[in-house]
Amino acid sequence: MHAAPDQRAVAKLKIGILLFIFCSLLSTGRMVVATPWPGHIHPDDIAQRSDQRFAELKPHLPAKGIVGYLGEPGDSAIPDYYLTQYTLAPLVVDFSPSHAIVVGNFPSSPPTQRPQNLQLLKDFGNGVMLFASKDAP
Amino acid sequence: MLILAFALCAASGYLLIAAALPREKTSSADSLMRLSLAPGFGLGIFSAVFFLMRLFGATHFIAVDLSVLVLLALTFWLRGSRRAQACTPALENADISATAWVRRVLGASFVVAILALLYNAVVRILAHPHGDGWDAFAIWNLHARFLFLGGANWRDGFNAIIPWSHPDYPLLLPAAIAHIWSYLGHDDPLVPAIIGLIFTISTVGLLVSALMLLRGLNSAMLGGLALSSTPFFVEQGTSQYADVPLSFFILASLVVLHKAYGHADNREPPKSGPLMLSGLAAAFAAWTKNEGLLFFSALIVAQIWILKRGPRHQSSTPRSGRNWTSLVFLLLGAIPVLAVIAWFKHSVATPGDLFSSWAIMLDKILTPARYGIIVQWLAKEFLRFGSWWLIPGTIALLAFWVFTFRKLPPERSHVFQIAVFTLALTFAGYFAVYLVTPRDLYWHLRFSLNRLFLQFWPSAIFLFFLRSSPQTSPATEPE
Repeated sequence: MHAAPDQRAVAKLKIGILLFIFCSLLSTGRMVVATPWPGHIHPDDIAQRSDQRFAELKPHLPAKGIVGYLGEPGDSAIPDYYLTQYTLAPLVVDFSPSHAIVVGNFPSSPPTQRPQNLQLLKDFGNGVMLFASKDAP
Repeated sequence: MLILAFALCAASGYLLIAAALPREKTSSADSLMRLSLAPGFGLGIFSAVFFLMRLFGATHFIAVDLSVLVLLALTFWLRGSRRAQACTPALENADISATAWVRRVLGASFVVAILALLYNAVVRILAHPHGDGWDAFAIWNLHARFLFLGGANWRDGFNAIIPWSHPDYPLLLPAAIAHIWSYLGHDDPLVPAIIGLIFTISTVGLLVSALMLLRGLNSAMLGGLALSSTPFFVEQGTSQYADVPLSFFILASLVVLHKAYGHADNREPPKSGPLMLSGLAAAFAAWTKNEGLLFFSALIVAQIWILKRGPRHQSSTPRSGRNWTSLVFLLLGAIPVLAVIAWFKHSVATPGDLFSSWAIMLDKILTPARYGIIVQWLAKEFLRFGSWWLIPGTIALLAFWVFTFRKLPPERSHVFQIAVFTLALTFAGYFAVYLVTPRDLYWHLRFSLNRLFLQFWPSAIFLFFLRSSPQTSPATEPE
């Protein structure tokens, strides 16, 4: 008596499973296609390059505490600053030049103007500079 | 040293799981579940241990880790003998039935999807060794560096001067990373990448094994297929963000809770070991991200709510009533990690940035347009979540439900109701946070909503395949 409804349910279940598999495989296939071949990977080493840029500066900084920051204006200002903080941790880098020691970060062009109270201590090249505040005690 | 560190970590997790979860005899699904749970719990233990060592100025990592391992081994040995005969009943509901050829297609698709996930994840790690996206090094790995490189001055990094690094975010990931860096002696970027991969694979393993144990192989393969075919899951899992680890602990808490309660018809009281483990997983979720705190609170509220009213349609069974001991065990498992979180929030973290004054928040709550915007974005996200191609995963699941719909008897499972209510409450909490957020609402939704969906996604798949798609009697199946 119940064979027909059961067969219909089985057929619907089969369609449901196959449809779901199809949708999943579409997504899986696209994921594989969008993945570069292992031989064609270009590693995004932005953080590593930042570590290298600041390597020479690090020994000239205190081991702990807070230092100031002076960087380029524009769209890359904040990302550049985040990378500097990541690189110089465990030092805390304040996004302000009002500190006794100030790290300068100018990856694309040297600073055209800098605050009057800052004195350049050393230019490490690659846009990395170290300033001291003339106002500092 | 890298292998030693990860081996100690996984061994700690495994012993904890083995001590708390009753073993299913001769069950490969049970073994897979343990293997999937162990690394995540091990990283949770490693994280809490490292944080406490930093707190007390201890430096002998290997000695402390070995002591923890011995302690866990002793606990396992003591509990192991008592659990020798314990064997929880297997299935929550009978498995989704499928004819032989459909099962073969499903099996092959599942294998393909898992291999694709592994391939994609490994390539992504090679392409983005420092993580993909700002949060990886502006928040999580930065905190790990402060913990590891800061020595006695590690607290300097959790400073209001750098509010963008979210010094109020919990430290499960950063402290686990820093712990393993301590073995290596340097901050190797490979460590956060490996941890991301571990959580990604463990989440899939846990989902598949849980469905295999509680429903059956077909349901498990469908669930695994749904998760591993979600590009956004793989992308975030390998980005060194904390959302996939959080989704792992949310799923772990709900899965282990199901293990504690066993079958809906089981009239025994919930088991204490799995209950404690579920509480611990929820606490680890809270130690992973602030959203985890919301999940933990929701779990407790859901437990209390169900205990007070009893599950629907089951008021006459002995388990429905007032078994408050289950709540006590849940809390007991969570307390050690909650204490660590409380200390961190009280003494280290800066105040969070999601709340403003009562007057401002009230004004936002009373602004109807904000509700409209949030609902609109939720609907949009529902339709595009996961970066599936052509047909969104959510729609694929809905279609599956429509095709397999059959009127079910009313839900009797106590624990299923708790799980659903917990996720619903957590979701309501997210909604409330959007409502009062001091940030620009569009900006906040744009940069976080998809990750909030992701935190639920593995658990949603688990609950979906646990309950939906009723079995069809094998006797009626045409081959």
